[in-house]
Amino acid sequence: MKLLTKTTLYFIIIMLPVFGAGAFFLFHKFNKEIKHETDEELANDQLQWLRYLDTASIDNPIFRFRTQEFQLIPTDQPVQRKFKLKGVTLYQETEDAQAPFRELSQVISIHGKHYQMILRKSMIEKDDLLKNIIYVMLLAFGGLLVFVVLSNWFISRNVWRPFYRTLDKIRHLQLNKMEARRFASTPTHEFNQLNEALNQMTDRIHQDYINMKELTEDAAHEMQTPLAIAQSKLELLLQDENLSEDQLKNIGQTSEELQRLSRLNHNLLLLAKIENQQYPVTEQPDLHLVLIQYLSLFEELIREKELTVATNLVASAPWPLHPALADILVSNLLGNAIKYNYPTGRIHITLTEKTFTISNTSNLPEIPAANVFQRFRKSNQGYSNSNGLGLAIVKKIGETYHIQITYQYLNGLHIFTASC
Amino acid sequence: MKVLIIEDEPSLRNSIREYLEHQGFVCEVAADFREAIDKVTDYEYDCIVADIGLPFGSGLDVIRELKSLKSKAGIIIISAKDSLEDKLSGLELGADDYLTKPFHLSELNARINALLRRKNFDGNTSISFFEITVIPASKTVLVHDKSITLTGKEYQLLVYFIANQHRVVTKSALAGHLWGDAYDQAGSYDFIYTHIKNLRKKMMEAGGEDYIKTVYGTGYRFG
Repeated sequence: MKLLTKTTLYFIIIMLPVFGAGAFFLFHKFNKEIKHETDEELANDQLQWLRYLDTASIDNPIFRFRTQEFQLIPTDQPVQRKFKLKGVTLYQETEDAQAPFRELSQVISIHGKHYQMILRKSMIEKDDLLKNIIYVMLLAFGGLLVFVVLSNWFISRNVWRPFYRTLDKIRHLQLNKMEARRFASTPTHEFNQLNEALNQMTDRIHQDYINMKELTEDAAHEMQTPLAIAQSKLELLLQDENLSEDQLKNIGQTSEELQRLSRLNHNLLLLAKIENQQYPVTEQPDLHLVLIQYLSLFEELIREKELTVATNLVASAPWPLHPALADILVSNLLGNAIKYNYPTGRIHITLTEKTFTISNTSNLPEIPAANVFQRFRKSNQGYSNSNGLGLAIVKKIGETYHIQITYQYLNGLHIFTASC
Repeated sequence: MKVLIIEDEPSLRNSIREYLEHQGFVCEVAADFREAIDKVTDYEYDCIVADIGLPFGSGLDVIRELKSLKSKAGIIIISAKDSLEDKLSGLELGADDYLTKPFHLSELNARINALLRRKNFDGNTSISFFEITVIPASKTVLVHDKSITLTGKEYQLLVYFIANQHRVVTKSALAGHLWGDAYDQAGSYDFIYTHIKNLRKKMMEAGGEDYIKTVYGTGYRFG
């Protein structure tokens, strides 16, 4: 639920009893006031009547009135010193309904004769009053509701805008591009605090990230020299003519492992450099030429395994990629298609202006989608020459230079597609 | 042939020196920037092998100095920094070649040989090893003065072997020489064996001696 919907809902829930109580209070208050007024009027009327009756009774007639509003009936009851007030309901013939009345009654004496005097006033306005109050209240409540919804909409469009802008920025935050992301200051104090905190946080994360990356790069660089020394020493050691076959073999294996270590190091550095965008796009190398070059470079590997290579290449496919990366992209994908193929297997290569697809047969099962581009994720036990970084590098090139790299397994073919 | 090795790591410096001296070069060494500048201003060298990261300065500045002295020496950069800018700026300054650490000594030696041939004789010279003669300009190989036909890779192998004669050359060094960075992708070195077998066969058919000895488990020795 949106924050605004929620606040609006709460507002309505709180306002409903408040308005109800208000309506009840108003009704009660008005009702009391009307009763009071009517009672006063009745008392006043009685005073007038008494005066009139006093003057009108010189001839000492016997009065007998009986209307709904005024009754004067002779009685034997003793004279009452004070009048009594009460509410009654009487049947109205014209409307065929009961109607509320206020009634004043007192036994009075006119020239020695006792009369029961009753004065009544209609309270029919009371019903109308209740209707009016409910009507007004509903109108006010509805009006307020519309106003609240409208103003909330307005608020969400304006006051909350910096919040949504910040949210959008956080959503698109990337670790390697954090530096460029600034959460701008806003006229709202709370959002300012939020943005400031976010700025500090991203700065800190970015700094940590840079430190980590520098550590990796420095470590990789620093490793090159000892590797170079160890390798050169082994190469010199190999020249000793007095070495036994076993010793030679051990040196050879050690040298081989050193090679592997330096390749690994080289590839880790390469990954870091691609991520750092140290390969600017200054020209558009023709992928067709790159492909032809690597096909001829890998010629003997293909021949050795007796692979069938079917190609369908467009004459020219300039891709927006650094030439070194174009080489790596093609050689890694083509190299894998050869390395993981079985003897007399097949390779299909399709190159259009925007896509490069390479598929190959293999004894390996489908690679789980989650693992295919992960570092050091080797599904290829027994291929000790792999360091598990080839596809990770391809993927990184894709991510950094907006080339989509996808993997598919179809009819026994491992299919890799790069599209720009 | 005189080579100056500018490298601050003593172990690596000595390895390079030992290997190159064994291959018949006269070597001098410089351990830092100042020593390097002193040596290049005072003496003439045929080839200079220079590291970029040096105490008191950069190898790139040594190249600048060499160029301002109008030195004819061939320059090979060896750097731990496998960075493109270094490579490009080095080559732009006038370096002739670039090798990233770690490298094979046999590769460095082969590159120096190729560079010196290019520089000193404009490639118009032949390389001889007993009955074998290689003419780089036309990529021709003669055995007992009879021309034999080699594939590109076989030719590269032969030149590499002759440059590193009498030395054990590892399979990975050969693979790196023939395929560059892409040899990562090879998966195995088996295919080198095919090339060597063919090269050996072609030379022996022409009456040449079998100079390529297999060194158990590691590589090959030529001569």
